[in-house]
Amino acid sequence: MRIGRRTFIAGASATLGLVFAKPAFAREKIKIRDLYKTQAEFSDQAKSFAASREVINVPGFMAPPLKADASFFVLTQRPMAVCPFCETSADWPSDIVFVRTSKIVDAVAFNRPIMTTGILELGEAKDEETGFVSLVRLVDAQFEIL
Amino acid sequence: MKRLLVASALAGAMCANVAYAADQLPQANDSYFLAAQQTLQQKLMEQDNTNRAKNIILFVGDGMSIPTVTAARIFEGQKRGVDGESNSLVFGQFPNVALSKTYTHDAQIADSAPTASAMVTGVKLNNGTIGVSKDVARRDCEAQKANPLISIAAQAEEKGMSTGWISTARLTHATPAANYVHTADRNWESDSDLTEEAKAGGCKDIALQMIEWKEGGDGFEVAMGGGRRMFMDKTMEDPEDKGKMGQRSDGRDLPKEWVKAAGAGAEYIWNQEQFDKLDPAKTKKVLGLFDRSHMEYEADRAKDAAGEPSLAEMTEKAIDILGNNDKGFFLMVEAGRIDHAHHDGNAARALEDTVALNDAVKAAMGKVNLNDTLIIVTADHAHTMTISGYASRGNPILGLSEEKGDDGKPYTTLGYMNGPGALKDEVRADLTNVDTTDIDYLQQALVPMSSETHAGDDVAIFAAGPWSHLFKGVVEQNFIYHVMAHASKIQDRMASK
Repeated sequence: MRIGRRTFIAGASATLGLVFAKPAFAREKIKIRDLYKTQAEFSDQAKSFAASREVINVPGFMAPPLKADASFFVLTQRPMAVCPFCETSADWPSDIVFVRTSKIVDAVAFNRPIMTTGILELGEAKDEETGFVSLVRLVDAQFEIL
Repeated sequence: MKRLLVASALAGAMCANVAYAADQLPQANDSYFLAAQQTLQQKLMEQDNTNRAKNIILFVGDGMSIPTVTAARIFEGQKRGVDGESNSLVFGQFPNVALSKTYTHDAQIADSAPTASAMVTGVKLNNGTIGVSKDVARRDCEAQKANPLISIAAQAEEKGMSTGWISTARLTHATPAANYVHTADRNWESDSDLTEEAKAGGCKDIALQMIEWKEGGDGFEVAMGGGRRMFMDKTMEDPEDKGKMGQRSDGRDLPKEWVKAAGAGAEYIWNQEQFDKLDPAKTKKVLGLFDRSHMEYEADRAKDAAGEPSLAEMTEKAIDILGNNDKGFFLMVEAGRIDHAHHDGNAARALEDTVALNDAVKAAMGKVNLNDTLIIVTADHAHTMTISGYASRGNPILGLSEEKGDDGKPYTTLGYMNGPGALKDEVRADLTNVDTTDIDYLQQALVPMSSETHAGDDVAIFAAGPWSHLFKGVVEQNFIYHVMAHASKIQDRMASK
């Protein structure tokens, strides 16, 4: 099964009803740029969300995926035409979010606005499956095309 | 009937008489009329300045098309809460303006490499090449070695003047590099970027050429911008970005080598604190590399981990250091990220960086005397952003036009011909509930492309100071060099060496 389209949201909301206790419109939303106070420090709001493990919304764009049939993607503040992990020297932004989904993701265009929903995690961590090191993650996540 | 004729003839005569007395025109007390009269009087008072230009400052807004200047002027005014449409940028008040033709030797639409070189060497080149003649094709190392050009910065060095370049982009990027490099490929920024053929042929990377740059003088006095990784080996960890490394493969630490070679009074800095501590009176030379890649956009600068100076702050500090030399100086100041924001289809950041350039020009104006300093503000090439629709006076420049398209949807005043703002094979999005003034908003575009392109329209040259009156009409971009050389009498200085 694949996720990523509007049709999935309804079903997911039903099956994950316990996790997504609040309806979508009532969830807190934070922009990627507001996750940071400076490049070296997270914002108080981000720290609060991470501490509470509240399900939140984060708008952004899906960077081109590294591989097909993956259950993760990279969320960027502005559209990014290249895969952030594909080139070691690429100038990818520091403020990217690693999004771990429970299902395989249907990739969308790099410049398609999406709303991601999940639980925020902060601090350096290595993803067990992919080996990617990230500073900001959204886990148990799904997304909706805007 | 006769009476009627006489009456109408009298009326006609009265109108004719009134037409010759400007102060009696019905519009004579209109505020627009009065303001234009004031401008006229100012223009009538202006006199050509034929002094020798002891100093030259060349400001380059990378990708700063004429619509970018216009939109920034409105944006800057609206930010200050004044009328944007009638607002003026500092360089918009310069007395002399010309249009610059930006095509290159081999391209209708330019990239930043040959255009910057055109401005500082006086000739046109091929796209992708810097500081080499038009006989050099891109990536042709052998031709590169045989066909170097000598920039005005190099000539200034040879005459004992001080030289410097500042950029919010990497210092190895095309525009600042035009001052010091000879390369057949603008992408050869570090040795890791050289092709095997180029390495075998003995062609050096751009960062190394900057550090070794002498050209008959003692090397640059001021170089501040981004691009730290191009100067560090891949085994060296970046001092600001934890876990990120340099890009070089030759094991060299170029900033360290430069400080050692430059001698006493030479400083290498990479953060705001070091910049603030820099004393221009005691500093003979400075190399500032404030970011691993490009410096931050002005809109994001406050969040930089180690802090970065603004373009205006760097300009002031550079002039203070370069001004220590009685023989004068040449300084290039580039707002390098106007171009990058446009490539992203993100007008807000392009306008913020244009305003930052304006602030830098203002800072320079406060430091120099226009009797002996030629200031030029121009762009290397244009972008596809347009200002369109019939928005009312005072409508936010980043906002929606009041009327709608034939599809019934609103549209923004600013838009792009191509770029990431277009979704492939999809209908145009409805912007009714979208905040198009948000700093991250991407304006809609027509042709879907991952990166918005440059444009081929002419750009403006704004100039003040000695011989700036030579900038009038529509001129070739490489003419800029010739005015700088003439105004500074650089050739005479060379002959009298």
